[in-house]
Amino acid sequence: MTNKIMKWVSWSVFLAFLAVYPKLFGIYYTNVFVTFAIFALFAVTLNLLLGYTGLLSFGHAMFFGAGGYGTALILTHMKGVSLSMALMTGFLSAVGLALILCPIMVRVSGTAFAMLHLAFGQLMYVLSLKLRSITGGEDGIGGFPIPSFTIPGIVSVNMKSPENFYYFAIAVLGASIWILWFFTKTPFGSIQVGVRDNAMRIDYLGFKVPQTKAVVYIVAGGFAGVAGSISAMFHNLVSADGALHILNSFFPVMMTMIGGVGSFFGPIWGAAIFQVIEELTSRYTQRVELVVGLILILVIMFTPMGFVGILNTIKQKWTTYKIRRRS
Amino acid sequence: MDPTTAMYVAQGIHGLAYGMVLFLVASGLTMIFGMMGILNLAHASFFMLSAYFCYQFLSITGNFWAALLLAPVATAFFGVLLERFLLRRIHAFGHIGELILTVGVSLVILAGVKIFWGTETLPVKVPPILHGLVTFKGLDYPIYRLFIIGLALVVLAIMALLLYKTRLGKIVRAGVSDADMVNALGVNMPLVFMFVFGVGTWLAGVAGVAIAPILTVFPGLADQMGMDAFIVVVTGGFGSLKGAFIVSLIFGELSAYGVQFISQLAPVLMFLFMAIVLIIKPMGLFGERE
Repeated sequence: MTNKIMKWVSWSVFLAFLAVYPKLFGIYYTNVFVTFAIFALFAVTLNLLLGYTGLLSFGHAMFFGAGGYGTALILTHMKGVSLSMALMTGFLSAVGLALILCPIMVRVSGTAFAMLHLAFGQLMYVLSLKLRSITGGEDGIGGFPIPSFTIPGIVSVNMKSPENFYYFAIAVLGASIWILWFFTKTPFGSIQVGVRDNAMRIDYLGFKVPQTKAVVYIVAGGFAGVAGSISAMFHNLVSADGALHILNSFFPVMMTMIGGVGSFFGPIWGAAIFQVIEELTSRYTQRVELVVGLILILVIMFTPMGFVGILNTIKQKWTTYKIRRRS
Repeated sequence: MDPTTAMYVAQGIHGLAYGMVLFLVASGLTMIFGMMGILNLAHASFFMLSAYFCYQFLSITGNFWAALLLAPVATAFFGVLLERFLLRRIHAFGHIGELILTVGVSLVILAGVKIFWGTETLPVKVPPILHGLVTFKGLDYPIYRLFIIGLALVVLAIMALLLYKTRLGKIVRAGVSDADMVNALGVNMPLVFMFVFGVGTWLAGVAGVAIAPILTVFPGLADQMGMDAFIVVVTGGFGSLKGAFIVSLIFGELSAYGVQFISQLAPVLMFLFMAIVLIIKPMGLFGERE
């Protein structure tokens, strides 16, 4: 009973905090938070593949990029597109890409899966650089109009103001993360973990392993596309280096590792830690690479289970301490 | 030879030279990644580090041959340190752990290089004997690129002899298929793996010195080569020297003629080739099935 009340109270405090965040911290930190939220969703979708299904991808950025380019292209070339339609286009273009790739990808696993993604990710990157007439080459697509958020006859919110865009982005990204969280709690989510742990047994139990992988793959890809789409609208720019670069594929892997692989909220912690590190290093030192590199080395050497692993150890120590004191 | 054919032949040799350098980097990577199963994303950083060492030794001694001998050895020393003190401890966490660690190491190497040598491009001069052009039936070709081809072939021969004709090579090959068993037979496997890792980085080092006079030395040197070498290893099949060699040459020619005929889409060719190979044979051209 008290637990339930506590849960409701903490959730309302959290939501209230999110609501007043832009008023408290100003525009700069509002934008920092949107960046964090985009990467949090992106890392969560990667963790759906890596942590829950055991598929390591080195090309996750291509879904991020597909979402971004889809949104940017429809906003550039079509007039009168609504905000939700632009977002939907981003989602669907990433889903489309995942649908095209999944017949190949579900047949392989392990290193071949990672490497095939590396190949296709780089293919997309080079293509987006070279197909200048569609993607704008190195410059990318920028300066497209951002439509207002409208419910006809009721309300029309201008998305040009960073504060309004913050609420929109947080709502979309938060809802996406919640959907994914729900997705992992369904029976299907359990089959997913089963595929990771023992694919053959899942097969014997009568579930279809390749089809399961394909569904997870499409869901993960589609929501990475949502992250990319929000990112494109946020920066009003989508470019090959910003969206499709190989580093953009590595970032969510690192965030997941730093936060804690296998835990749903680990990647979100990881994205937050990454964001804080980036803020601090870019402000106080020129040597961003050195600091990030050293942190990665230290994390993997000393806390291989990530931040959530540390939290769990502390929690365990605390409970044993309490039990010992009681007895 | 009329000028057009001469141009095609010259382009072909260009491709061969690039393929050979690529093979030097990729053979080191295939030993580390393919045989020991270590996902070393810092491999190309060692390649770059060696080019910087080459510049440094050259400015101290003024002798290119000394730099060619010393720089790869110095690089291999750093590689051995990495294996002994970092990689060995996280081997239990699998590929993702190695990925994070080696990305971290490559960032640290990049930062270190920028701290010690700055960000500008540094020239490396070759000795007079490797200067100039060689003329053959109306075809002029720079001697240095021929020297690279020769150097790579010599290194390849040494590697093949070491792997297939010596006791050490036998131990290494046995260790690849079952390290625990060889360890139980009384061979110090951690030491052998450390040695293999050292040789792998040494090969990257040789390639770094070979490429330094052509491309000059700058912090972005690792990016292109690292990706290419990785693709070679994956496409050729993990742990297959033969596969790495053939795919390196194919990629060299693909990029040379690709730039000539479809300059816009030349980089796509390699990834397309890799994707097609992996779709048909997920373990690479000469890889064994899992």
